[in-house]
Amino acid sequence: MVFIVALAVWAAAFYVMDRYIMSAQGLPVGADMMPL
Amino acid sequence: MIRIKPKTALIATFAVAVLFLPEIALATGADTGGVLEGAPQPTRADYPQIGGISARTLAWGLAQMHLFLAAFVLAVPLFSIATEFMGVVSRDDRYDNMAREFMKITMAAYSLTALVGGGLALALFLFYPHLMGYMMKVFRGQTLIYAALFGLESITLYVYFYSWDALRHGNRKWVHMSIGLLLNTVGLSLMFIANAWTSFMMSPAGVDAAGAITGSVWEATRNPLWNPLNLHRFLANIAYGGAIVGGYSAYMFLAEKKAETKAHYDWMGYTSNFIAILGFLPLPFAGYWLMAEIYSYSQQMGITAMGGILAWLFIIQAVLIGTIMLAANYYLWSGLMRTDRGAQYTKYVKYIAFVIVCGFLVWVTPHSLILSAQELQVLGGTHHRLLGPLGIMPAKNTAVNLMLVFTFLSFQMFYRSSRVPTVSWARAGNTVIIALYIVGCMNIVGAGIYGYITPTVYKVGASVPQVVSTLMIILGSVLIDSFMLRGAKSEKIHWGRMHERSQYALFVLPVAFTWLMGLMGYIRSSLRTHWHIYTIMKDNSPEAYIPTIGQAGNTITAVTLAFMAVMVFVFWLSRLGATKQAAPAGQE
Repeated sequence: MVFIVALAVWAAAFYVMDRYIMSAQGLPVGADMMPL
Repeated sequence: MIRIKPKTALIATFAVAVLFLPEIALATGADTGGVLEGAPQPTRADYPQIGGISARTLAWGLAQMHLFLAAFVLAVPLFSIATEFMGVVSRDDRYDNMAREFMKITMAAYSLTALVGGGLALALFLFYPHLMGYMMKVFRGQTLIYAALFGLESITLYVYFYSWDALRHGNRKWVHMSIGLLLNTVGLSLMFIANAWTSFMMSPAGVDAAGAITGSVWEATRNPLWNPLNLHRFLANIAYGGAIVGGYSAYMFLAEKKAETKAHYDWMGYTSNFIAILGFLPLPFAGYWLMAEIYSYSQQMGITAMGGILAWLFIIQAVLIGTIMLAANYYLWSGLMRTDRGAQYTKYVKYIAFVIVCGFLVWVTPHSLILSAQELQVLGGTHHRLLGPLGIMPAKNTAVNLMLVFTFLSFQMFYRSSRVPTVSWARAGNTVIIALYIVGCMNIVGAGIYGYITPTVYKVGASVPQVVSTLMIILGSVLIDSFMLRGAKSEKIHWGRMHERSQYALFVLPVAFTWLMGLMGYIRSSLRTHWHIYTIMKDNSPEAYIPTIGQAGNTITAVTLAFMAVMVFVFWLSRLGATKQAAPAGQE
């Protein structure tokens, strides 16, 4: 149970961190699928 | 007649220097006489030829040797004072003795650093008088500050080392550490000034397009590549210094016979390896920043580095860094035999080794291959269908971050092997750390994959969350461990209980670091191509071309071997200093 909760909490933390860092660089996730 | 006490005169001189030195160091452009004169453009005939001496190879060899020695003598006092401070905090004399021993090795290398630096300056003024004349004009009074700081560095270094026992206890210890702090401040200032000159040659500032001085010395100093270079060299010096004193510890471990002395040098080797890894962990990111700034300053320069013939050297760089990683990890795994509980962790070593070897293989995989015409026909191009995608940065970044995470895991296993947590939530704490590793590694891999499906700007941007993930895993684990291991039951660490072959891993580190620094120095310097000062002052000497990889390899290897010979001499000298001849019979 602790393992499942820890996985979920860490996943949320990393997700928030990823989005924040990308946005801070002017690269909002969601607008990233521009034609290559 | 007024008599001035020597102490008053000294304080007055120091006060005057403090007051006026910044003014000299940061002089404005006004002192050039108001005439805007461009950089000199010497012709081939203006470069002195002395016999058959290759001016560039001579200057290159001396510069590289000076850099190796300077990096070492600047870095050791940095972690020496940190070790001394740990001795004060922990009230454990072993730290203090080790810090002093670190400095003892530096002392033997210091005069050689100055000697080679003097040789380099002479070679540069002799063979490149126009370039050096122009550099003197740009940096004006700062060159005098450099000389003054060098004098101060010598004084503080000698005082710091020789006052060790005189200022060992109580308040005097703090006076001693203050001298050490001053020594490090001066040492770092010297490095920052030298970096300004080097980076100015790559990304000139404070001058116009023709090289006429339009700004202050500070503007020339604060050129676009100065700070990235400062950070990169600062971290690299710490890793390098740690690796060299690690080599010294291994040398002493193998040479000594007494178990007690072996235990001391085993502990010193472990600490040195720790320092080397500590400096090394953030180094790839500092290098990444430096390269990003190079691209940002001049795309042409960036492409010369990463997209042309020099790009192949980054594959050699990967091989060397992989060697460093494997050697450092091997040493940590060997260290598990120092504790009785270490054996229970050895079953994980093969998995860590697997990740590090895979990461290493990904890192050395080139994007396109050098092939014969026949091979090219069989493959259908220079790009391998399966391995080719591993040649681009998202794969490399993923590999290097995972290698760093698992190197930290090796270290964590060692410090865990000597402590048994006693807190009631230890099991839950371990579970949270395991979850952190799993999610963090998945995030690193995920961000790498993300780099393949998005445009370049996102690919580059996604490398930042990868770095932060690595740091989160390391810092998160250390934080949880620091709470979980409070009041932990300590197990005895049997220092000296190491097999001898583990010490050879400590020899691999300084050799690989030295060769790597020489290699990367060649790349950084070659980025200027046929310019002394990029886009401002052309190199018209007969050797104004990028040396071939073969020639560079020979020069770097020769300098590395020479440096290693110097280091063995320094180690031998340190040991000789501690050797006492037994009194002849009858004279005791």
